Amino acid sequence: MGALESGECRYVMLSYGHSALSSDGMLRMLGEFEVEDMVFGHFGAAAAYALAARRAMHVYRTGPGTWQHIAIGQRRWANLNPRAMMYDRPMSAEEYFNARWHVEPFRSPDNCLITDGGRACIITTAERARDLRHRPALVMGMGHDHPARSVYRTLDFTGGTGAKKAGEKALAMAGITLGDIDACEIYDCFTYTVELTLQDYGFFGPGEGEDWFRDGATEPGGRMPVNTSGGLLSEAYFMGLTPFTEAVMQLMGRCGERQLGPATRTKDPEIILCSDNGGIFQSHACYILRRP
Amino acid sequence: MSEEKPTPVINADTRPFWEACRNRILKFQKCRACGHVRWPAAYLCPECHSLDTLWVPVSGKGTVFSYVVYHVAYHPGFLSDVPYVVALVDLDEGPRFLSNITGCSPDEVYCDMPVEVAWEDRSAEVTLPKFRPREA
Ligand SMILES: [Zn+2]
Repeated sequence: MGALESGECRYVMLSYGHSALSSDGMLRMLGEFEVEDMVFGHFGAAAAYALAARRAMHVYRTGPGTWQHIAIGQRRWANLNPRAMMYDRPMSAEEYFNARWHVEPFRSPDNCLITDGGRACIITTAERARDLRHRPALVMGMGHDHPARSVYRTLDFTGGTGAKKAGEKALAMAGITLGDIDACEIYDCFTYTVELTLQDYGFFGPGEGEDWFRDGATEPGGRMPVNTSGGLLSEAYFMGLTPFTEAVMQLMGRCGERQLGPATRTKDPEIILCSDNGGIFQSHACYILRRP
Repeated sequence: MSEEKPTPVINADTRPFWEACRNRILKFQKCRACGHVRWPAAYLCPECHSLDTLWVPVSGKGTVFSYVVYHVAYHPGFLSDVPYVVALVDLDEGPRFLSNITGCSPDEVYCDMPVEVAWEDRSAEVTLPKFRPREA
């Protein structure tokens, strides 16, 4: 951002591309997290997030009863998105609960997809963007926080992730409150990540997620749409660019059948919050975007 | 044919740990400056940065902080083990140690469950500290 404001750069492209599905690159990267743990048959990110999720189930009310709403809600968005890997694969609650355990307490639909493909986004100044062909989305606020400490060493990894401070910073910079947010695009490597991120942003208290997500709150027609492309769970895995580019596209009005507004019986989006998260809840970025 | 499981990477930091395991003794580094008992093994104390360290045996007793049940094998060596439990065990002396829970069915494991070390020979050179249920 500084490089754009100072004139050092005029346009910056954020891009991500990976042949993750047709190669073993992603699984190798994840498998090599902690060599010592492999001795005990512990590999990769799914089980690490599952350890956090299991402890959370012990401390407050959460679990598959909450996560079904996230997995199913995002699948309904993906069913409106022809680009989504799960476009023609609807999922009912029965199908969610009948799905195979992966690393319990996660079933397969609690895990993100592995995708061949990529995403890109151009950033420039608001002034330059005014002359471009498409209406831009503007960055209102951003916040980062990186607790860094391994989840295995923290005393309590059921909350208080980087989302807390990053969210506060982004809201302060934007000069708004959570009540002003029209939709969220949340980094969703696992269903529980969505719950904990929204919880740490302050949308609901620990254990209140099951009620908050209930009755299609985050689905098409819901009061707070979440992950309107289907997200990493049901659209495609392009790291933080899946949620970020979806927020941009929604504000630009380029989302077709899944477009927020009358087409999906939701509020016309003025402001969208999005998140990115790295490691096992070790780093967090929050961005708030708005319409010009 | 079952493929071999991964073996520990033994280096200057971890050698005393794995050598003690071969003798079925669970040992961790204790900082002589502040008393902090640490894992993973490290050159200096993560709490006070002191280099003054002693390897001390621990009781092998602890509780399950959290656990997961693997229903898929990420490595062919674990194909015949699924479903198996990976847990974070909080040892009474302080360190949090990632290991397996044995001696009960995965359905019987719970957070805060009391456990104790249960030795398992992986090979002639390597013995692993696993954990099994104990009376509280
Ligand atoms: Zn110390």
